[in-house]
Amino acid sequence: MVNTEYAKAVLGSDAPRGASEPEPVADREPLLRLTDITKTFPGVVANRDVNLELYTGEILGLLGENGAGKSTLMNIVTGLLRPDGGSIEVNGEAIQMRNTQDARRLGIGMVHQHFMLVPTMTVAENVALGMSARRPPLSDVQRIADELRDVSARYGLHVDPDATVESLSVGERQRAEILRLLKHRAKVLIFDEPTSVLTPQEWIELSHVFRDLAAEGRGIIFITHKLDELLGIADRCTVMRDGEVVGTIPAAGADRQTLATMMVGREVVLRVKRPRVPAREIALEVRGVSLERGGRTLLDNVSFSVHQAEVLGIVGVDGNGQSELVQLLTGLVSASEGAILILGDERHNLTPREFIDLGGAVIPEDRHERGVALDLDLRDNLMMADFATSEYSARGVLKTSAIMSRCDRLIEQYDIRAPNSNVRVDQLSGGNQQKTVLAREMDRGPALLIAAQPTRGLDVGAVEFVYQQINEHKRNGGATLLISTELDEAFTLSDRIGVMFDGRLLRILDADEATVDEVGLLMAGEEISA
Amino acid sequence: MNTLASSRFASSRLLGPVVSILAVILGLAISFALIALNGQPPGEAARALFDGAFGSKKQTAATIARALPLVLVALGWIVAFSARRINVGLEGQMIVGGITGTCIALYLPGVPTGLHLVLALIVGIAGGAVYAGIAAGLWAWRGVNEIVSTLLMNFIALQLLSWVVRGPMKAPGVRSNRSGTIPDSAQWSNLIAQSPLNIDVFMVVGLALLVAWMLRYTTFGMRLRVTGANEHAARASGIRTVSVGLTALMVSGGLAGLGGAGLVLGGETEVMAEGFASSFGLEGIVVALLALNSPRATIPAALLLASLHQGGGLMEARLGVPAELTLVTQGIVLLFVTGSAAIVRRARTVRVDLDEVDSDRSQASLGPTAQVTT
Repeated sequence: MVNTEYAKAVLGSDAPRGASEPEPVADREPLLRLTDITKTFPGVVANRDVNLELYTGEILGLLGENGAGKSTLMNIVTGLLRPDGGSIEVNGEAIQMRNTQDARRLGIGMVHQHFMLVPTMTVAENVALGMSARRPPLSDVQRIADELRDVSARYGLHVDPDATVESLSVGERQRAEILRLLKHRAKVLIFDEPTSVLTPQEWIELSHVFRDLAAEGRGIIFITHKLDELLGIADRCTVMRDGEVVGTIPAAGADRQTLATMMVGREVVLRVKRPRVPAREIALEVRGVSLERGGRTLLDNVSFSVHQAEVLGIVGVDGNGQSELVQLLTGLVSASEGAILILGDERHNLTPREFIDLGGAVIPEDRHERGVALDLDLRDNLMMADFATSEYSARGVLKTSAIMSRCDRLIEQYDIRAPNSNVRVDQLSGGNQQKTVLAREMDRGPALLIAAQPTRGLDVGAVEFVYQQINEHKRNGGATLLISTELDEAFTLSDRIGVMFDGRLLRILDADEATVDEVGLLMAGEEISA
Repeated sequence: MNTLASSRFASSRLLGPVVSILAVILGLAISFALIALNGQPPGEAARALFDGAFGSKKQTAATIARALPLVLVALGWIVAFSARRINVGLEGQMIVGGITGTCIALYLPGVPTGLHLVLALIVGIAGGAVYAGIAAGLWAWRGVNEIVSTLLMNFIALQLLSWVVRGPMKAPGVRSNRSGTIPDSAQWSNLIAQSPLNIDVFMVVGLALLVAWMLRYTTFGMRLRVTGANEHAARASGIRTVSVGLTALMVSGGLAGLGGAGLVLGGETEVMAEGFASSFGLEGIVVALLALNSPRATIPAALLLASLHQGGGLMEARLGVPAELTLVTQGIVLLFVTGSAAIVRRARTVRVDLDEVDSDRSQASLGPTAQVTT
């Protein structure tokens, strides 16, 4: 339901889809043509005979799970990697790229998921850095700034060229990246997951920019795993799986289910139904919690409670205090003010150990940083929170057989795809790493689960699994605090939705009554009068 | 994909040792090539090197005896490094362990044989642990980098030793700067008569096995390994990483202290003299690196270095090849072993999720190296 509204919001804008009417494709020379691109890394074929065409004035969606080879392909197109085989043509001319400068000269540019800007420099300086000029690159900054102002006005990309990058919001940084590409006269613009940092409203603005750019005769490649966004804006979708192109279809006739099936290679349940369970006692209560660090207020008087058999979703654009909230609740940092009550037990200086012992479990937002130890094997990762309990050790010695049988059971139960528990975790896919975290945390039978961005970077199949686990936890009477930047996810799982902005919890809405628009405005910090 | 992956997993277990042995052979080969280039017969040099290290029962015993403190120091390094704490002060901790152990041996007379030795060793361990504990405490509570503090404390220990053998512990009536003679009750008994090899060889081998077992099969070892592999994840899992690091450094110092005490209480000279621990501290770290931080592998690695040291002397005497050449050999072998370890590591890592790796690392490294993360 949410999604149709959302899609409508994007589709309903007045700009026509595909500015130049789709002509018979064979008649036109593509802007960019990849033929039989193959790239192998030791032990893995990242791209196998990939064919892809991008036409002038077109928005091409590139869809695929993690590991499907999208990033490798785009790294080839932007000159970062050299293909083992195949050819690249730009405007019908076969070209060889040795580095990213070559790609830039050919008019190919990319906005990376993690922005490539120097935070301490101004927007104009950042743009100047990439210019190939005869004079020292920074001597022309003033002229570049003026030119940027023109470009920025023309496309409605509002950024102050004289502002330092670190003072900009994420949305502004993204616009700065786009300005840079335009200044470099890029004809082919590649966007890697551009929406993950945007509010719905910002995404609608960006989609207008996409259309304007395409209408001018540029080509846009839009990498995403969010099917709705893709269908809302793309002219055609190319789907990759296991390093190969599964197919390219016009977006007009496509639907979510078809694309998801192409992506995963099997039928996927896209809509996990939210179980209706009457909420019970309060499991987690947060009372007026504030956090200050280095003179900055990161959390400002945050209060809420989560009940047993309830999912409270907290949404917001990344960096509005969600990470700090999770660290606080799991005992990694201490609050400057306020109290946390877990199952009625009030704590001021909670330690991670106490959090676990009180019945807490956490899926950290950054899997590699906090969730798993990549250098250790699967067994150690499955055991690292519980090895000291009497079940798995006695007098400081680990009970190997109990540990082995638990690991085997967890691998089975959580469908972790690994030959055995001796595998080092960095050899597992992201989805299986996340399942490892889930298995470790959920097997304890926690009363309170804190799930921070639990599906970030996961493919559709793994997302489905995580959702089922969270719903199962709820059916069993567990409380869940879900922290997510994805509205879709929050609406799918949550009973109530709170919005965080600038360290404050703006409001908590009933998920059945809240609309995406309402939540989106709150995410941008606009208070709605109740 | 899965079967491919699992066959790789299986073969990778043997890969490390095989590559290490190849690296050693290659390193020796290059050294002998250097000797040949210098105009000396490499065959005879090899012969001399071998004879010097293992030519007779006595020489073999001396080589093994020299390897023992190296193993202890290497184990100390490994314990600290498991929690990613870098203890470069092992030499200083050896010295302090030697001094404290010697104090018990010399100034606590009348204790029965055996018990006296045990007591002296325990106090030696304590000395090393406490000395490492100073650096560990500074790290834990004041955030002082332990690499810097342990390194600098080596110099303090050296000066301390210099002072005690000239001052308070100097044997009366002798001209050289050394302590009095260690009484028999506090000495290791010889395993082979008239050789420096004592029965502590069993203790050292036992300790290597014990440390290997401890790291793998105890909760303490688990805490060390998880903390070392990912401190953030360890903390989130309820492990008190600061106290783990502190303990790791102290255990590390204790092992070095034991090595230091053993050098005095098992030495042929039966006294503590200036420089008794010299070069063992750093060479022990080399042993740990050669062993790729595997406790059991410290035994062959220490034997290799000890035999190069012992054999180098004879090589110089017989052929005039400078004994320092064995240091070159040591360096080359070390380069090959650590270099090939990186290759092994990369070969073991089968990246299944390339996309994710790319996007995860792209923010860290902007240069063309970003592509090599697979």
